[in-house]
Amino acid sequence: MSAKFAVLRSFLVSGLSISLFCVVWELIANANVIPNFPGSLQTFGELIWWISDPFFDNGPNDLGIGFNLLISLRRVLIGYTLAMIVAIPVGLFVGVSKTVKSSVDPYVQLLKPVSPLAWLPIGLFVFRNSEITGIFVIFITSIWPTLINTSIGVQSVDSDVLKVARSLGASRSNTIIKVILPAVMPNILAGMRISMGTAWLVIVAAEMLLGTGIGYFIWNEWNNLYVANIFVAIIIIGITGFILDQLFEFLQLQFNYDS
Amino acid sequence: MNANPIVSDETFSEKEEDSHVKIVNLQKVFPVSRATLFNKKIENYIALDGINLDIKKNTFVSLIGPSGCGKSTLLNLLAGLDSFTSGEIFIEGKHLTGPGPDRGVIFQNYALMPWLTAAGNIDYALETACPELSPSQRREKSRYFLNMVGLERSMDKFPRQISGGMKQRVAIARALSINPTMLLMDEPFGALDALTRSYLQEEVLKIWEKNRVTALLITHSIEEALLMSDKIVLMSSGPSANIADIIDVPLPRPRIRKIIEKNSLFIDIKLKLEEHLLRETRAVEESS
Repeated sequence: MSAKFAVLRSFLVSGLSISLFCVVWELIANANVIPNFPGSLQTFGELIWWISDPFFDNGPNDLGIGFNLLISLRRVLIGYTLAMIVAIPVGLFVGVSKTVKSSVDPYVQLLKPVSPLAWLPIGLFVFRNSEITGIFVIFITSIWPTLINTSIGVQSVDSDVLKVARSLGASRSNTIIKVILPAVMPNILAGMRISMGTAWLVIVAAEMLLGTGIGYFIWNEWNNLYVANIFVAIIIIGITGFILDQLFEFLQLQFNYDS
Repeated sequence: MNANPIVSDETFSEKEEDSHVKIVNLQKVFPVSRATLFNKKIENYIALDGINLDIKKNTFVSLIGPSGCGKSTLLNLLAGLDSFTSGEIFIEGKHLTGPGPDRGVIFQNYALMPWLTAAGNIDYALETACPELSPSQRREKSRYFLNMVGLERSMDKFPRQISGGMKQRVAIARALSINPTMLLMDEPFGALDALTRSYLQEEVLKIWEKNRVTALLITHSIEEALLMSDKIVLMSSGPSANIADIIDVPLPRPRIRKIIEKNSLFIDIKLKLEEHLLRETRAVEESS
């Protein structure tokens, strides 16, 4: 009963906070300090318009928001999946072998702090294709958090569990697949969650330069000087990112060994 | 006091085939790197020095000594999990070459795989150590050994869902399931509360008295060593730890705690052990 009440209470408080925010937003917009700044009413009007017909196609500069969102999601999913195929095994080997760690570490340390957008011109130069470049940028973005989390996880595997595996005569490959990999699953998922978060941040910026996708939608509306639609895109990007993050939280709960 | 007696059993004549483990002049040195401002020095830390020990087949031997005396190091060496510097270890007459499923290992913190159920943990051990078994045979064995430790109803529970004592029982079942000729136990009751500990001690004792294997138990508890062992190996304090004394515990089996605690022999040996441990612990505390 009290737990139910607490949930209801937090919903009410959140709802109240959002309503209050929208009222203040509308008031500030109407005060006309910044000319033509869209208010909350206009923004939500546009939001309803866009989501009531998300899939229309009148050429690349007039695409429904649903199509743009799907284009962005597709790029993220392909780039991200490819990155995971590389990051998880490499992370495991980095964690297991000092030699692999020493040979991979310089790249990780050097490339991790570089903004993924710096790779965009390289991608365009190499692939001569904006679609593949977008995927490439997401690939580079997504690799590091998962790789690093995986390798750190391997180093923190319970040494007694590893001793048990060895005392049973487990081979190295058996130990990696049957002991280390499941033991590191929580770390891998935590890394994957961060990777997904960053990928979703980066795709918006990358698409402003690439054409099509939700990022390009924002850039296009800026060129049209239609700011309300930019807010619409921000709301949709935020909600999508939230859903993606919740998906990983759900997965993490499935691999929580402690409780 | 730090004389290094070579074990010999006075009541029986020494026969090679009775020996399960024979340790000859064993030394273990750890390289310890000490980084200073300008350079890194590698120093040698002698953990074990001049260990000679003979463990007879199907006997229960306890290893007792002050903290940091290298008891766990010795157990790891016997398990084949670590390499020794010099000396020799023979297991059933053959040179020890590495880990193997002839030795079941039990650790203080259970070392269960948290992503597997109780039965799953045993199944993993069987799958790894006895690949010739079919899945249904493995299931059969898992059930049999969980039954032996009284956990048949918790087969499908995950480690997080069961108590510390139950976890250790799963670990014991896992160690026994691969049918080892030797059990190596590194303070298996050390992480348990007092009541669970004494319950499990008696459970393990009962299981062992029914299915005898060679057992080596590392413990801090004199009572535990006395209750369970045929022989108690006293280790001196490290560095360069070695065997200070070996004490026979000729108390009759099956042993029941309540009865043997009143035995005068029990009380005599207990006093002797307490004296030794106190002296060695004092040496450790006053050296630092």
